[in-house]
Order: sequence, then structure tokens, then C-alpha cells
Amino acid sequence: MKRLLSGVLLGAFVAGMSSTALASDYTIGVSNTVQGNGWREEMVCAMKAQAKASGKVKSLNIAHRNTDAAGQLEDIRNLIEAGVDAIVVNPANPEGINSAIKEATDKGIVVVAVDQAVTEPSAYVLSNNQEEYAYLGAKWLFEEIGGKGSVVYMRGAAGAAADDDRDKGFKRALAEYPDVKVAHEVFTGWQQDQGKQQILDYIATGIPFDGVWTSGIDNVIVDAFVESDVPLVPIVGADNAGFVGQLNSVDGLVGAAVTNPGSVGGAGVTLAIQLLDGDKPDAQTVLVDPQLWENKTEEGKAQLAAAADPSLDPEWPVSIMIPGWTTYSKEDIIACKGPGE
Amino acid sequence: MIRFLRSHYWITGLFAILALLLVITKIIQPEYGASGIDSLARAALPFAFAAAAQTVVVIAGGIDLSIASMMAVTSVTAAVMMDGASEEYAIFVVIFVLCLGALMGTINGLLIVLTRVPDIVVTLAMLFVWEGVALMILKAPGGAAAEWLKGLLVGSLSIPGIPDAVTVWFPKSLILLAVCLMAVWIPFRRSRFGLSVYAIGSNSLAAFRTGVSVNRVKVGAYAMAGLFAAMGGLVLTMSTGIGAPIPGPYLLASVAAVVLGGVVLGGGRGGLLGPIVAVFILRLVRTDLTFLAVDPNITTIVEGTIMVVVVMIGGLLAVRGRRS
Repeated sequence: MKRLLSGVLLGAFVAGMSSTALASDYTIGVSNTVQGNGWREEMVCAMKAQAKASGKVKSLNIAHRNTDAAGQLEDIRNLIEAGVDAIVVNPANPEGINSAIKEATDKGIVVVAVDQAVTEPSAYVLSNNQEEYAYLGAKWLFEEIGGKGSVVYMRGAAGAAADDDRDKGFKRALAEYPDVKVAHEVFTGWQQDQGKQQILDYIATGIPFDGVWTSGIDNVIVDAFVESDVPLVPIVGADNAGFVGQLNSVDGLVGAAVTNPGSVGGAGVTLAIQLLDGDKPDAQTVLVDPQLWENKTEEGKAQLAAAADPSLDPEWPVSIMIPGWTTYSKEDIIACKGPGE
Repeated sequence: MIRFLRSHYWITGLFAILALLLVITKIIQPEYGASGIDSLARAALPFAFAAAAQTVVVIAGGIDLSIASMMAVTSVTAAVMMDGASEEYAIFVVIFVLCLGALMGTINGLLIVLTRVPDIVVTLAMLFVWEGVALMILKAPGGAAAEWLKGLLVGSLSIPGIPDAVTVWFPKSLILLAVCLMAVWIPFRRSRFGLSVYAIGSNSLAAFRTGVSVNRVKVGAYAMAGLFAAMGGLVLTMSTGIGAPIPGPYLLASVAAVVLGGVVLGGGRGGLLGPIVAVFILRLVRTDLTFLAVDPNITTIVEGTIMVVVVMIGGLLAVRGRRS
């Protein structure tokens, strides 16, 4: 009798186990190689929030540190060993981590690359179009200064794949405006303090220039102009909360914000869950095209006013959600808590 | 045996920590096995060569802050040269890049010896110089690596007569590391030059008085560090299949491994085995933290704390050993 009872209990236990397994308790691994940058932090928070909001993820296993492609290979292999069901990765560069991605997909692990593409064909890619990002902003800037003059070109990190893509877009726009010259080209390293120092140094030289294009280190550039009390020139930046706020409020500032949503991380989690559930998207690669919001026309002003969000960290992009891809609320992403936290 | 353990207590301790960590890893992740060891060895490779480079210089009483940048230069050089080239040409590339590494190390050493500016200042400056050189060679990640070179790191050797169940535990990457390090280190330790490196690190004036050409030996030590850095750069290209001009986190990791590996930062004492085991310990800690899904912002604190604690315990043991 006792044995029968324990048998029944065991059976019930096993049945209980299998029913929870049916409720899709996925474990998702995340690999990211830049730590302490507002954009990347938002991306990670979007991943956490989306994993929690989906209700299908048991836990997130996040490998998030400053490292190179070789370090990311290590992280991805560790995630494979940890037995995750899917890996969402922001690749250090498009080719360097292909071997580990192949090892993962060979083991049946779903791999989604977000923000930047990878060339490994077995991975799914959900990426922001970096070349278009730069082209859109640069074209607007050159148009704004009347198609001639000189601009300060404030790039991202030297040698980074995303910076290289943006450079292609910038150069494409530059080729269309032969009378526009690059007065000064610097690498901000996507660091606020460094970018501010560089523009202050250049302002101090007294050499006149007509506009500034930035690779997303934007609000500190406006600060530098305001603090050194020199006339503002048109400035192009990203949709960071601080810069969007300035476009709405700083007197005499003409500029444009180009969207580059960090919430693409959350979208990557959604895509990974869809793939685990068996829904394959039509294309292996989905490019998120950027938008440009400027504060010259009424229409642009309205977009900027709608987008502004002073409650966000100034370094966070305001596009904290991507319709159709993310289901969390603003509170969720700001709380930055994943499943089980 | 006991005498060996006592004289090599640091190495013994490191192996004990490594074994303990492997046991812990197995408990956290019961499926951890041969493929885990393979991943570990591949992850450790660039760090191990960086640590080897730093070890030589530190034993000689110096420090080289440009190691990661030299790795970047050699990595991009190899990737650019192998891009579109034949598989056979890669043999030449490997030799060329190793020579390039030694040349960069020699330049570092000569600058230190000729200008008499402290090692830390010269190599700090060279960190930026070599980083710039790497960016000039390749402005964004790119290039390629020969298939046979990439294959050197994948899987395990099958040796006739030994069952695969055994060889699978000794991945190719581990064997490659051991062969490369021993090919340089064993002749080095047995040579007059090797002895001189320890001598100038221990007391350069005394070494000078016994007839050691301090400057020449110092340049030699830096050249050897450059050679190891070139090996590190090559394995970066081999594992990623491309070259990346931005240096990875190998500089601080190399210093950490050297300290944890029992090499005295003042120079003159220590070996190569300690830092290499330390590299494996540090990589395995990272693996365990990933398995445990520890908050990423806490992992770096944990890594740092482990290092400080181990080095402190080691220091206490050393003091006790001297008293008894």
C-alpha cells in the first residue's frame, strides 16, 4: 500500500514536472562586451524586462563585461556549457565570434544577434542599421548648413565595427555634398567626458565651423557650447534622453536626433522566444531602420516633444520600446529586473 | 616529496585551488566535462601567452604595459597578411609575425635601456604607440586566418594507441599552449641568458659586478616578451578568424596572473608554471560565475576579491615560512 501510494505520488510529481516543462521555462543566455555605457545598459535592461514580461523565461544568464571578440567566444562557450536554450548576443564584431555561434547552433541553441549583424548564417540577426543611422543625420546636417561649410566629425570608438559602418554612411552623405569639408575628426570612444573635452579643446582654437555630427555623445557637446558661451551651431546626435530634452528646451539650438533604440535587446529576446516556440520569422535578418527627429519643423518638434522623457537617465535612448517587439512597460525597463529577481 | 611540496608550496597551492574549482564546477554544472575543458583551454590561450610575456619581464625586474597592444599589432598583421592568401603562405606569416613581436619587444627594451626612463613610463607610452600602429594596419575588425591555423585550436588530437576517451581530455589548444611555452621556456631556463635574467631582476648591480651585461639582458627579456605577445596575437587571430585593432583586456589580466602565479613583482623570483595555472584559475572562476548567473556587475568584484585573498594568504604563508 505504502509502495503504491509513493508510486502514485511519484507519478503525480513527474506529471507536475512535465506540465511545468510545457509552460515553456526557457533559460536564455546574454553576451555583451561593453559595460558602463548608457546605451548598452538600456539594452541589457530591455532584455531583462522583456524576459520577465514574456512569462516564458525561467532565468536569464547574463555575461556582461568589457572584453574583446576572444572574450566573447569564451562567454558564449560558457553559456553553451551552462545549458541555455537560446543566446542573445551583441557581437563584438561581425566575424570574430562565428565559431562559437556555430558550435551553439549545432547543439540546437537558438542564437540571435542584436544591434550589429554577424556573418554566421545559422544565427538570426535583429540589428540597427548603423550605416543608415550616420547617413540620415549627416545628410540632414549638410542640408541644414546650406550644403557648404565645415563640420566637426565626432566618431565613436576607433576600430569598432559599428563605428566603421557609421563612417561609411557619413562618407556617403559627404560625397553628395562636395562643398562640405570635415574641419576636425576625432574619436570620442563613446565616452561622455572625452567627447566634451575634445569639443572644448576645438572651440578653444577659435577655428570657425558650421556644424557638429556626433556618434551619440551629444548632450555634453551642447553643454560645452552653452558653458563656453559661444554661438550654437547645428548639432546631430542620437535619441538619448538628455539630448532630446535639450532639442526641446535649449534656446537657439538647432539639431536632430537619430533613433538608435537600445531596446533592440528586448526585441532580440522576443525573437529568441518565438524561435524556441517554433515560429520562424520570414527573414533571417531584420534591420531596424532609424528615424530622424529635428527641431526645425512643427512636425519634427511634435515628434521630439512626444519622445522627450526627463524621467530617463540622460544617456539612455528615449526609444525604450519597439512596437510589435517589446511588451514590457516603462516601469519594467527602468526597474531593470529580470525573471526571478 | 615533502621537500618538493615545501619548496614549491605556491605552485602546489595553485594546483589545489584549480582542482577545487574543477570540483565546484562539476557540482554546479554536473554535465561539465571534456567539452568544458576544451572551452576553458581555448579561453585561456591568449591570457596564458600574455601572462608568459609579462612573467619574463617581471622576473627581469621590469614591467611591460604594452603587451595587449603588441598582441593587437601582431593579430591584425597576421589577419591582414593571411586575407586572401594561400594556406601555405600562412607558415611564412606565422614566422614573420613571431619575428615582428620580438622586434617590437626589442624596441621597447632598447628605449628603456637607452633613455634610462623607467620601464613603466616607456611601456605606457608604447601601449599607445602600438595601439596606433594596430589601427593604422587595420582600422576596423577584419582580415582572415588560414583554415589549418584555426583547426589547430579545435577539438582534440587522436593519437594511435591511446583511446579517444583519454585524448578528449587533452584538447589541441592545451597541447599547443604547452608546446609553444616549453619550446621557448626550457631552453631559456637552461641558458646563460636565462640565469642572467633572474640575476638582473634579483640585483642588477650584483649581476653587473659578476660580469652580466645588464642592458643587453634586459633588451633580451623584452624581446622574449614580444615573442610571447606575438604568440598571443596569433592565437587571437586563430580563434576569432580575424584581427581586431582594439586591444583586449590582456594587460591587467597578465599582471593579475603574474601576481597570483607567485612571481615577485620586484623581480628575480618566480617561474612560468605559476602564472599559467593562475590564468586557468581566473578563467574557471569566470566560467563558474557564468554558470551561477551571478549579476554581471558583481562578477568583477568577485574576481578581484578572490585575487586579493589568494595573494594575501600567499603572503602570510611566505612570512611564516621565513620565520620557521
